[in-house]
Order: sequence, then structure tokens, then C-alpha cells
Amino acid sequence: MSTGSTDSDAAADAASGDGETPELYVESAIIMTTVRVVAPFILTFALFIMFHGADSPGGGCQGGVVAGSVVMTLAFAYGIDSTRQWLDGRVVAALASGGVFAFVGIGLGAMALGGQFLQYSEYEALFGQATKYAIELVELGIGAIVAAVAIGLFFLLAAGFDRDTEDDTV
Amino acid sequence: MTLTLIEAALLVFVLGCAVGAALLRDTLAAVMAFAAYSLGVSVLWLMLQAPDVGLTEAAVGAGIMTVLFLLALSNTASPDANRLLEPVRWRTVVPVAGFVLLIGATVPALPAIGDPNAAVVGGEVSQYYLENAYAETQVRNAVTAVLAAYRGFDTLGEGVVVFAAVVVTLSVLQQEVVA
Repeated sequence: MSTGSTDSDAAADAASGDGETPELYVESAIIMTTVRVVAPFILTFALFIMFHGADSPGGGCQGGVVAGSVVMTLAFAYGIDSTRQWLDGRVVAALASGGVFAFVGIGLGAMALGGQFLQYSEYEALFGQATKYAIELVELGIGAIVAAVAIGLFFLLAAGFDRDTEDDTV
Repeated sequence: MTLTLIEAALLVFVLGCAVGAALLRDTLAAVMAFAAYSLGVSVLWLMLQAPDVGLTEAAVGAGIMTVLFLLALSNTASPDANRLLEPVRWRTVVPVAGFVLLIGATVPALPAIGDPNAAVVGGEVSQYYLENAYAETQVRNAVTAVLAAYRGFDTLGEGVVVFAAVVVTLSVLQQEVVA
């Protein structure tokens, strides 16, 4: 009895089976290689959209979505569960809340300097071209929120209601 | 109003995808039609010289939404697609067609693309943004200047709404970690 054939039979049964939950993940060397090569470029493009949004089309929201999609392509290539184990949930949560805090903080900082909420020009007293850099920081904050929320929604929807107990420690 | 060939083709494509997304019985096919619809609309935005909106439509509408729909579908039981299209009920078609006609009747009232007398172009607020955005915010993209500076408070609200989406999903699914 060859173990190889029974393994593949079992896999085929699991994949096609009576099938309430058909197997989502198909391991493919081509997809994995493509994603490994392309992912850094997607992330670079996302950061370009985010940082360059002040002078060209784009901005935090669009760049954040593209950055979040990097994790989705990784999950597509390597499987959602292994990507979830690789990714630290605390980083995602910190990005989402950090983005909101950065945005609010910039607004409150302007008030602390004597201006109104989100009045970036107040920062001119501290460093030159303050409005531009404050806008860039705000865009990065938005990008962090959107990227983290996109990743979070992805994993949450993938998990659904019955997450197994084995994932509780993640 | 004259359409170039490519604009007309895009309009037909978008309309076809929209009807397909509404009528296809197989939910997977409907999601794919919806993604194609978003992609077509994003190209239309680009041709209307709204690249910021086009980029958002392509990334969110065609990208993330499709992935989230597919994930949701994979966690639900798919209905048996023994036929191609949903049955069409007349009591649905009549109001929908009436609504489409009503909205379509307003289209000729819209200003032509690039019309210098259009309300938005001639408006005091738009002109203020276009003239002063760079001097006041040192940002060349007027859209970013409006979103992040002039309308910063609105954008903060939008960011919090997006943040709330993940919080709500955590509560509904009774999870404690986002990933």
C-alpha cells in the first residue's frame, strides 16, 4: 500500500467531498512565486500612492487599500490560516487605532499651539512647510487605518463565527 | 453630447455588468459581474478626468469588495444554480424602469464636460480652492488639499467610520482579535 496515493486520495476527498466547505486554498508553486516576486512592488506602489498623494492622484485611503491588498495576495498564495499565524494581530490593531490617534493628535496639537482643531498652519511656528507635512502625516494616518481595517475585515470574514479554539492564542 | 467609441463601449460594458450582477442566479458569477462593473466605472472616472475617484473605485470597489464578497460567499451555503438567470418579476421591473427613466430624464440637464459655465466650475467655493489651495496648503493635488485640509474634520469622521467598521465586525462575529 503506497502512502502517497492514499494521501492524495484523502486530499481529493477533502477537496471535492460531500462538500459543505470546499477547500479554499490550493497550493501552487506558480502563485507562490509570483506573489513572492510581486508583493514588494505592490507595497512600494501603495507607499508611493500614500506619500505622493499630495502632488498626484491618490492619498491615504487608496494607498491604504493597496497596502492591505498585499496581505490578501499573501493569503491567496500561502493560505489564509498560515498568513494569519504569520501576521501579528496586535500590529493590525495598533495600526488602526494608531491612525485614528495620529489624526486626532495632529488636530489637538494645533489647538495646543493656540489654533483651532486641525488648523495645520499653527505648526509653521515649529518647522517650515508645516501644513504640507501635517497633511502628509494625516494621509499616512488614514492609510494606516484603511490598510489595517481592510486586513482585519479580510481575516474576520474568513474566520466567520466558528473560529476553532486552536486560534485563540493568536 | 457626443460619445467617443471607447466611451460608448465602456458604457455598454458597465450597463451589461450591472444588469448581469442583478440578474445572474449564481452568486459567484454575480460577484464577478459586480467586480467588472466597478472596474468599468473606474475607467469611466479616469476618462472623466477624476483619477482620484477612479483609483478609489478600482482599489475598493473592484479589489477589496470583491475579495470580501468572495470570503463571505465561501462561508455561506451557495444556492443551487440550476438556471442562469433569476426569474424577473414585472412588479419589480416596472418601478425599477420608472426610476431609471426618471433619473435618465435629468441627464440632459447636466452641463457638458468641461463647460466653463457649469455650476461647480463657476462656483465661488470651487474657485477659492483652485486659486488658494497651493498657497495655503503647499499641496499640489487640490483634491488632497480639500480632503485633508479644508475638509479635514469630515475626513477625520470618515476615518473613524472606517475604524468603526472593524470594531462592529469584531462585535458581531464575537471575536477579540482582528487577525
